[in-house]
Amino acid sequence: MDATLHKQSFWNKYIFSTDHKVIGMQYIIMGIIMAGVGGFLAYVFRYNLAYAKASIPLFGHLSAQQYNAFVTCHGMIMVFWVGMPVLLSGLGNLLIPLMIGTDDMAFPTVNMLSFWIFFLSAVVLLSSFFVPGGAFGGGWTMYPPFSAGGYLNHNPEFFKALFSGTALMILAVALELVAMLMGGINFLVTTINKRAKGMTPFRIPVVIWFINIASVIFMFSVGPLVAGAFMLLFDNILGTGFYDPARGGDPMLWEHLFWFFGHPEVYVLLLPALGVLAEILPVFARKPLFAYKPIIYLALVSAVLSVLVWAHHQFVAGIDPRMATFFSIGTILISIPFAGIFLSFMATLWGGSIRFTVPMMWVLGFIGLFLIGGLTGLFLGSNTFDIYAHDTYFVVAHFHYTLFPDIFFGFFAAVYYWFPKFTGKTLNSALGKLHFWATFFFFNGTWFVLFFNGLAGQHRRINDYSDFSLVMKEPYMTFEKVATVSAILLILSQFIFLYNLFTSLAKAKKGVKNPWEAATLEWQAASPPPHGNFETYPVVYRGPYEYSLPDANEDYLPQSVPSSPENTITNNDYEHKSSTAPIAAH
Amino acid sequence: MSIFPENISTYGNEIDKLFWLIMLFVGIAFVISLFVLIYPLLRYSQKASPKAQYITGEKKKHFKWVVIALALLLGSDFIILYSEHDAWGQIESAPAKVDVKVGIIARQWNWIFVYPGPDGILNTSDDVIVDEQNSSLHVPINKNIAFELRSQDVIHSFFLANARFKQDVLPGRTVVRWFNLTKEGKYDISCTQICGILHSQMRNFVVVESEDKYKQYIDSLYKANGRAITMK
Repeated sequence: MDATLHKQSFWNKYIFSTDHKVIGMQYIIMGIIMAGVGGFLAYVFRYNLAYAKASIPLFGHLSAQQYNAFVTCHGMIMVFWVGMPVLLSGLGNLLIPLMIGTDDMAFPTVNMLSFWIFFLSAVVLLSSFFVPGGAFGGGWTMYPPFSAGGYLNHNPEFFKALFSGTALMILAVALELVAMLMGGINFLVTTINKRAKGMTPFRIPVVIWFINIASVIFMFSVGPLVAGAFMLLFDNILGTGFYDPARGGDPMLWEHLFWFFGHPEVYVLLLPALGVLAEILPVFARKPLFAYKPIIYLALVSAVLSVLVWAHHQFVAGIDPRMATFFSIGTILISIPFAGIFLSFMATLWGGSIRFTVPMMWVLGFIGLFLIGGLTGLFLGSNTFDIYAHDTYFVVAHFHYTLFPDIFFGFFAAVYYWFPKFTGKTLNSALGKLHFWATFFFFNGTWFVLFFNGLAGQHRRINDYSDFSLVMKEPYMTFEKVATVSAILLILSQFIFLYNLFTSLAKAKKGVKNPWEAATLEWQAASPPPHGNFETYPVVYRGPYEYSLPDANEDYLPQSVPSSPENTITNNDYEHKSSTAPIAAH
Repeated sequence: MSIFPENISTYGNEIDKLFWLIMLFVGIAFVISLFVLIYPLLRYSQKASPKAQYITGEKKKHFKWVVIALALLLGSDFIILYSEHDAWGQIESAPAKVDVKVGIIARQWNWIFVYPGPDGILNTSDDVIVDEQNSSLHVPINKNIAFELRSQDVIHSFFLANARFKQDVLPGRTVVRWFNLTKEGKYDISCTQICGILHSQMRNFVVVESEDKYKQYIDSLYKANGRAITMK
């Protein structure tokens, strides 16, 4: 091949690619890099919490400003630059076309643009660490007037204000939301318009349903926040006063706009990961997913309720006390669909024939940890107990018990499960199990003890507790050290995964099509699927979870295999394209 | 040893009781869920159960178990909601009788305490304003203390863990809340809303003391401010 041609094809193939699989992997690689940044920040401030004022290995002394900035950026990064790109954009891009049986996204160029705007947003965010004054340090909720300029670095100059940590963070978040919006539109249009023949709505795998429902929730709630973020940016760089009471504004407005998005965002992160669980459980229980249709209805109900609960983050913010009851009831109601989904997942195990593979272990660990996260939510959904628990470590431990299994266990389950499909290679399963047990053990070591610190009255985002008698005593100081040591080991455990990933990638391709004997469409494509995915457009004959059918010879029936030859729908029936030609030819 | 710090307010006990009530429901739900998760892993492992059953879970006789569990969950949720309702109303609304009024102003980075002057009315020219690190808010024991919360700059949050009380303080609004503290001593006030570089040091104290000592303290404040008049 000609050298210049080869070079160009490298750019088009791996960098400015419009192939959904490459874009999905770009998102995931970016997510892993950002998880490294977020994890490093966590290591630094976690170390500081156990050993205040000590010099931190690999970092040095941590100032109060840096502590605040690191805590803030850790939260921001893990939600917007790890959870979102990995679970929504990454999995959405990789899985949607393959699981609905088509060649690519509806708008491949928009898809590429979405990733590069996301990339830009990450660059803007990381650059905020290097401007004078450092990154923004007012909490990931960015409550004004603290985040509305003036107070942080009393400078009214436009360019100074524009290149401040605060403005850059707002800009980064706004860009990230734009990127995700472009992805979300793509997911919906693709799923609605490009499904394979026979892929009726109730034959679509749950993960695709959930990614789409998450996209709808995201698009519905993000508008007010983008508008609100620009108002905040104007407060910073143009001197408006939307949120500053001294200039006629009200900070409560931001709290509402932020949480109107911020709470649904939790479900945007949760649903794709639950979808991953729904794909993996039936395969390794060799049993249909329990209550496929009810699960989808429950998720739709949760989508509606998700925009009615936001003010439970504001029980002690000074809203009218009478409003709290409404939001408490909403919070209780939304726990019902998610409890239903988890119960159905657990019911899938009953009567199965369970294989304890590595992806299955991550799924079971996810359910176990999320159980603690979900149940501790009951304490916080109670507005009265929240008066005490709000902004203590009880809350921090609670949401780490929900978001950590969600983002990381969900991600690892997906990686160990789909890695053979997208690379044609296999991950080492002994290392995978070691990675799982280490992560599971050290995660609990980090967070379980901190529930008790929270109940003892330890409040969040404090770099040095030496002034506070309630927590400067045993056993809470020991708990801090236990948490810190566990957190360091938790982070180190992830190198097992990276080692496994790189050594497996260095191995030769085996190209096994369907190693787990799964029924969904992606397993009918080659491993890895070529550009264009399928040799011919698949035709779908049944739902996605047909395992252990009583009268079948095989213990699973792929979606695209006809039950008997006379039922076969020929390619001539295919309406969209003349399908004898390979799709990859375009 | 209690998992909570010592309770010193009249309503703090309600919150502790609520915690244990929720803990009861959560504990039962946790044990049942753990069983539902772990039992099938042993009973239906590939070894113990080589052939899976074909259950879609969409039939009534199967899905009813999910519905029953959700109904129980919903029921316990509403029991929690019902039993917390009174405590919420009690903490979040004004008390029937106010014995002492005081102002609490948050700023970067301290809690400022405002005592009404000899006229006993807040926000008048004879108020005594104490803005010193660790100056302590002095209150008499067993009295209904109503306080006005304000912020001078950014959002702060007033947290008195021993009283189980917390309230965000937003600039531009005044929030009136109350407590009645029942045990003498000195207790931490902290700020639980990140408010800047010295957020970690935004600590002050509440000093609960006998009415005599409290009056002495107020008198000494007046004297220091040139108002040698005892309180009514």
